Amino acid sequence: MNVITRVFKSLFLLELLRGLRLTGRYLFARKITVQYPEEKTPLSPRFRGLHALRRYPNGEERCIACKLCEVVCPALAITIESEEREDGTRRTTRYDIDLTKCIFCGFCEESCPVDSIVETHVFEYHGEKRGDLLMTKDRLLAVGDKYEKEIAAARAQDAPYR
Amino acid sequence: MVNIEINGIRIQAREGSMVIEAADEAGIVIPRFCYHRKLSIAANCRMCLVEVEKAPKPLPACATPVTEGMRVFTRSAKALEAQRATMEFLLINHPLDCPICDQGGECDLQDIAMGFGESESRYREPKRVVPDKNLGPLIATDMTRCIHCTRCVRFGREIAGVPELGATGRGEHTTIGTYVEKVVSSELSGNVIDLCPVGALTSKPYRYTGRPWENRSHPGVSPHDCLGSNLDVQTRRGRVMRVLPRDNEAVNECWLSDRDRFSYTALAHGERLHRPLIRQGDAWREVEWQTALEYAAEGLRRVRAAAGADGLGALISPSATVEEGYLAQRLLRGLGSGNVDFRLRRQDFAQEEADPRAPWLGCAIADLEDMDAVLLVGSHVRKDQPLAGLRLRRAALRGARVMFLNPAEFDFNFPVAEHLVAAPAAMVDELAAVAKALLEIEGTHPPEGLAARLENVEVHDRHLAVARHLHAAQQAHVIVGTQAFGQAEFSALRALANLVAHLAGAGFGYLPEGANAVGLSLAGALPRAAEPAGRHAGDMTGQGLRGVLLLGVEPEYDFADPAAARRMLDEADFVVALTAFATDEMKRWADVLLPVAAFAENEGTFVNVQNDWQGFAAAAEAPGEARPAWKVLRVLGNFLNLEGFDYMQVDEVREAARAFAGEVEVKAATAWAMPRWPAPGEALQRIGYLPLYHVDPLVRRAAPLQGTPDARADIAWLGEAAAAALGVADGARVAVRQGGAEVVMEARVDAAVPDRCVLVAAATPQAARLGPAWGPVEVSAVKEAVAS
Amino acid sequence: MMLHRHRGESKLHLIEEASRQEIDRWIAKYPADRRQAAVMAALRIVQDQNGGWLTTDLMDAVAEYLEMPPIEVYEVATFYSMYELEPVGRHKICVCTNISCMLCGSEEVVAHLEKRLGIRLGETTPDGRFTLKEVECLGACVEAPMFQIGNTYYGNLTPERIDEILDALD
Repeated sequence: MNVITRVFKSLFLLELLRGLRLTGRYLFARKITVQYPEEKTPLSPRFRGLHALRRYPNGEERCIACKLCEVVCPALAITIESEEREDGTRRTTRYDIDLTKCIFCGFCEESCPVDSIVETHVFEYHGEKRGDLLMTKDRLLAVGDKYEKEIAAARAQDAPYR
Repeated sequence: MVNIEINGIRIQAREGSMVIEAADEAGIVIPRFCYHRKLSIAANCRMCLVEVEKAPKPLPACATPVTEGMRVFTRSAKALEAQRATMEFLLINHPLDCPICDQGGECDLQDIAMGFGESESRYREPKRVVPDKNLGPLIATDMTRCIHCTRCVRFGREIAGVPELGATGRGEHTTIGTYVEKVVSSELSGNVIDLCPVGALTSKPYRYTGRPWENRSHPGVSPHDCLGSNLDVQTRRGRVMRVLPRDNEAVNECWLSDRDRFSYTALAHGERLHRPLIRQGDAWREVEWQTALEYAAEGLRRVRAAAGADGLGALISPSATVEEGYLAQRLLRGLGSGNVDFRLRRQDFAQEEADPRAPWLGCAIADLEDMDAVLLVGSHVRKDQPLAGLRLRRAALRGARVMFLNPAEFDFNFPVAEHLVAAPAAMVDELAAVAKALLEIEGTHPPEGLAARLENVEVHDRHLAVARHLHAAQQAHVIVGTQAFGQAEFSALRALANLVAHLAGAGFGYLPEGANAVGLSLAGALPRAAEPAGRHAGDMTGQGLRGVLLLGVEPEYDFADPAAARRMLDEADFVVALTAFATDEMKRWADVLLPVAAFAENEGTFVNVQNDWQGFAAAAEAPGEARPAWKVLRVLGNFLNLEGFDYMQVDEVREAARAFAGEVEVKAATAWAMPRWPAPGEALQRIGYLPLYHVDPLVRRAAPLQGTPDARADIAWLGEAAAAALGVADGARVAVRQGGAEVVMEARVDAAVPDRCVLVAAATPQAARLGPAWGPVEVSAVKEAVAS
Repeated sequence: MMLHRHRGESKLHLIEEASRQEIDRWIAKYPADRRQAAVMAALRIVQDQNGGWLTTDLMDAVAEYLEMPPIEVYEVATFYSMYELEPVGRHKICVCTNISCMLCGSEEVVAHLEKRLGIRLGETTPDGRFTLKEVECLGACVEAPMFQIGNTYYGNLTPERIDEILDALD
């Protein structure tokens, strides 16, 4: 029986036709390919992209150098040095994230008690030299300043679920 | 012993001990804040509440003595409920600022809240805020975080002997403070940082710079006093972040002096030398080690050829390691010279042959606590060796007679049974009077040569009292202290102290300057320790040297006579300095400056006064090209083609030094020899007190320590009569003159200074320009310019 | 560096002779090595001598006289509400606001006093006559609401009775 069925199937190209049916269905179905970079997919508010350091609305940096992100980082990508600033507050003098080490797990963001270190929705960045992927405090703050509106919106959107 | 049961485990506990002690010994955890094994019991935090069978309410484990058949439950529902409730109350007024709190990560409150508290707070009302106190440059305060455990208060009263902190107010308004603000002036104040279970008292130099979990712990040994306190040097990325005590009941218990705790701040000082420097005419050039060592070896060889081996000499810091001392003396002796010494502040080398093998304490450090009578000669032990002072304080509070013979009435934080105060030269007569009193008690004859002297000595009640106390005591000890070592009457004081101890049947010992006076003596860094013998430090400075090797020394600070030391160096043909810091002063006379590791960057061994050989490895990275001095000396030995300089490890050097030391007899007492008797002069005498925050190059550069009141150096203390004779009022400006140099200082009039004396501290920037620390001095009032 | 004798001036002279004799009477009640047991009495005595309040210097003097560290005297003085650390009026009105008095209307008493004197709790009238103070239970619940002026208790207070009492004072 088995042999007859097999001969019958191959004689009438049934397998091929079944395959072509799938092809045909997708030929006429609605297309989901996104024409990146002209088109972009929507991103979750929890998307974990490039890091940023945020500021308070009055311009004061949020980071208080508690070093929780540094210790929680599984890839040891964060390096922090801190000291007492002139006004007596606890501040970082150095805050480096090595993006070549970072695995974008988002632990730093979760551990931050003041919502200072965040991962933005920015994923289109590149470095031409290795050093370009070492984010220093100034660069992280600059990213934060640039995208503050979007960051704040994403946090607000996600807030009910935290 | 009492049989009790904790959580079903049967335990034998010492009678009269508390439940918490029994539990600690059995390894059963009971949470606590106010209880500390070295402090009295306060039972005011209520965190250690446990259930005790047949007791209606939970009882504090720290204040409940054990009784036969007692059954304790530390984790029963009742106990846990009580602990949880206590925790909730403690957290009511505790701020939630752990992310910026330096205690975060090593905080008892954090840990115990995790283990015994609720996960959520029910408290919605406002919290209290307490203004911060100014406790000086060492301790940072955040009093809002305080939970009123009063450990700091009890430490101040019971251990440090400075009852300046207290708990004022009541209930929620209780605050810990000094009420009238004053800078806490204890030499042990840093310990309250360790004691504080929360972040209310933290280290100011360490403030906000690190987290406990990122520090690496390295065992270390204190390089500042002869006790060799055990340290826990904490580093991050090769840098020393802070220094904590490491428990050692035989030496420092769980305490640390401020000097040991904060001296690390000098490691990052701007004067650190990073690369070898050699002199080229008037300019200095940075060179490779190879070049520098070749240059140094060549220079030393040249001097030897020109001036003979005796023209060479090595002067070593009394805080150099055993290995450094051993290699330095081997190097010098290899070159044919025995001129090697570390006793830089000593000026009286008479009866040098009567020196013991090493300046031992003569008893264990811990034994000081159990003494019934102690006489210290020339010692401000509270400041000189703060932790030995602590032991003596305990003895004194127990009722022991702690007595002093000092050139000025120094300040002590315990009852002093007798304080004999006399001008430096007259101290000898005072001690002789004690000896005479003892001879009368014993009914024996004075030893050879002394009888004629004693005829002129008057015995007063105070001498008799000292003699009686020493004689009557079960355990008595006579100690020659750090301050006496520099005195011009040292040999006479030492001989008589020895005699007094002998007559009274008391022990005898020393508390010398530096971390390693004992180790260096054993390692042979003394002119008479091996062949060839050489000249001592006094002769080397006085008679001069052609080629000098300096190790960890700043001559203008570390010598008995800064002026003479400078003259010697200026006149020398070739000076090699192994130093951690390079100063302009050094660049004036040195030819080669070799950068060496300091303190925690170094490796080696210190031997303390009770013969503990305490080795330590490097904890931090030395800056730039700096290397441990033993390696520098070892390679310098190679460049000089000396035999036996092939060590690869520091341990090998230590073993060689140990073999050199051989069988060591720990005995400080020596036989009687009639000393040279000082002639009291009419001239004003300088008391060259060695202040605790100026003892070595590291401490002198530790900025936080230099900010404390103890570090003030620009004061000339005058007795009332001397001040009146000079027409000087308290607070006026005076000119202090010695050997052509003049320094203007502030005068303080104080009855603690004897007649015809002025106390001008040694080893300070002011004293660096003067002459001998102990000796004649001229003081005159400075005419203030009158504003017209 | 500190030397032994260089300490502050003695403040013992601040304690008047009569006060000193009274303090000595108290010291005599305790064992010879327990002088500091008299600290509470001594503070009360010098407080009375000084017109009802304690200065830091006076507390230092007590500390010196009883041979105890000054901070321990400060601790006692700040703990008990009966010691005043700031100047008070000629008459110190101590109103009890504990539970019995509160249930019987101590709030009205306080309100009336505040209105009449024109000051709040813890304040002193500008003419220096009255100080108004809230205190814990004075143990006279039987005639609540009550207050204490000087060494006298006044109970069953009503606004009229308060006016009467205050008018009778100088």
